[in-house]
Amino acid sequence: MKDKNNIKEIYEIYDYIIIGNSAAGLAAAESIRELDSSGKIVILTEENYKNYSKPLITYYLEGLVDLEGIHFKGKDFYRNNNIDLHINKKVISIEADRDFLICSNEDIYKFKKLLIASGGQPIIPGIKTSCTDIAGGNRDKKGKLLDSINNENYRDIEGIYTLTTLDDALEIKSFIEKNDIRKVSILGGGLIGLKSAEALLGMGMNISIIELADRILAATFDREASFIVENRIISRGSNIYKNSTIEEIFIKDGSISGYRLQDGREEECSLLIIAVGVRPVTGFIKNNSVKIRRGIVVDDYMRTSIKNIYAAGDVVEARDMLLDEKRNIAIWPLAVRQGSIAGINMAGGSEKYNGGFFMNSIEILGIPTISMGLAAIDEKNEKNTEVVKVFNPEEKRYKKVVIRNNRVVGLIMVGNIERAGIYAGLIKNEIDISSVKGNISREYFGIINLPADYKKHLVTGEGIEV
Amino acid sequence: MKRIYIQEEYCIGCRLCEIYCQVKHSKSKKIIKTFKEEKSDIIPRLIVEEIGYNSFAIQCRHCQDAPCVEACISGAMQKNKNTGAVVCDENKCVGCWSCIMACPYGVIKRDISEKKVASKCDLCIDEEVPVCVKNCPNEALKFMEKDTDERNKVKVKNEG
Repeated sequence: MKDKNNIKEIYEIYDYIIIGNSAAGLAAAESIRELDSSGKIVILTEENYKNYSKPLITYYLEGLVDLEGIHFKGKDFYRNNNIDLHINKKVISIEADRDFLICSNEDIYKFKKLLIASGGQPIIPGIKTSCTDIAGGNRDKKGKLLDSINNENYRDIEGIYTLTTLDDALEIKSFIEKNDIRKVSILGGGLIGLKSAEALLGMGMNISIIELADRILAATFDREASFIVENRIISRGSNIYKNSTIEEIFIKDGSISGYRLQDGREEECSLLIIAVGVRPVTGFIKNNSVKIRRGIVVDDYMRTSIKNIYAAGDVVEARDMLLDEKRNIAIWPLAVRQGSIAGINMAGGSEKYNGGFFMNSIEILGIPTISMGLAAIDEKNEKNTEVVKVFNPEEKRYKKVVIRNNRVVGLIMVGNIERAGIYAGLIKNEIDISSVKGNISREYFGIINLPADYKKHLVTGEGIEV
Repeated sequence: MKRIYIQEEYCIGCRLCEIYCQVKHSKSKKIIKTFKEEKSDIIPRLIVEEIGYNSFAIQCRHCQDAPCVEACISGAMQKNKNTGAVVCDENKCVGCWSCIMACPYGVIKRDISEKKVASKCDLCIDEEVPVCVKNCPNEALKFMEKDTDERNKVKVKNEG
């Protein structure tokens, strides 16, 4: 280790260091540069790429976008904004009280202001492994013995993947092509599991989804919405195993050959995608020097517990405006907004984060769906909450609006998602909809149906912030 | 920037704006050909809303801080720094519908006629006046610049 006491003389000091090269990090860099034309900005990423859009990797897998199109900022972004990008820099420690950080190759960076936008990483449940052939044994592809999978070793078993980075997508794509895979199992029917399913079904694959809850997308869908989407998946010959998980993975010659579920059912499998969830990447924060719970806790200005350290995106717990508490909501639009707000504040501005709420768009085999806010809550257990829904399973359509204290707090649209954003506006602006409640779940609910004042605001205004 | 303003009280719900928008975004650019051969594929990029005698046409507001741009995962949806128009680059768009989820005006639509793309008003950027405005018989749509238009961000000097 280099001598930490001499860093002031030796290492370059950056006005702004940003850990993370995705939605939040780049939005922050852009905001900083708008306000501060000369401050030195460096972005550190542990990956080997210039920016790419993480949510696009399933679209890349499906072949809807190529390696060129996966970049969401142009080639000249860094040069035009005078931003340094240092790739393959994995931060291993932040010395919060002394304004510097250390990378895995022992590089030291000193900062005046730091943004942590390190995102999330997949969770690997510790599943037991066993061998099905005596010759190969219970070994990974390097011949090492193992009795269960974990974060460190799952990549050593051929055919087991996660799908949260471009490298994952590249490896899965080449594995599919090399082994002529037609059938894929996905452990986890949540957001990443279903985005993976969307891509794989689009490629004509057969899939098996294994989900611990009693329905897919349990966090944002209710029974009706799941029913329509599940039926669609099953109707094409795929499987969904609910109320279950994988108890044991079978390994043959260093590759996955199948698995057994909790209920004893067994299935052959040569490609398993583990998608049980992600957790914030915070390993470089030692001894709680920056306050962490599940994610890094930030205030309404995206400041952490340390004065000159900010955080944004999938790594944070920021205000959820519907629950009025701090929570990790790992979605792209909030990462962009939080990053942008952090950047403004880091550059000396004062911009407040008014809180966010969960939202998600997913299209399965031609059925588009959008869900947002407290869409999955059981209204019977909630105070002052009512639900209006129109369920039409024959036409694969469903619309549900959740209302609390006369404000929209949740929405599910399946089959027809046109104008879903109008509800996002109602949620965000906390509009009293008591005067239009009778129409709120109409299929063609539009601007014209909105409460008079809000309608006037939208119709006669200009391209305003709403 | 110049924007399209809605004068609700003048709208008679004739939907000429819709028709001219479709022609403008057709391949042939000819009204008869558009409607005889292409119409089913061309989505008007504005929405006429109507209840009884009350009606108006609404299209993208080309917001300063556009929620659709913020939500776009592919970089397809961009606010052009020179023209101010929020435009979807259909080559980059993957049809994830994040913009539909985010737009509080509900004026972005799914176009699945060929590859999936988000369809929205492009402000007819090659025309002097957008065709919906030009062909409105009652000035229910106006294209103009208001001086209160842009929200100026406070520039802060670099502290260091």
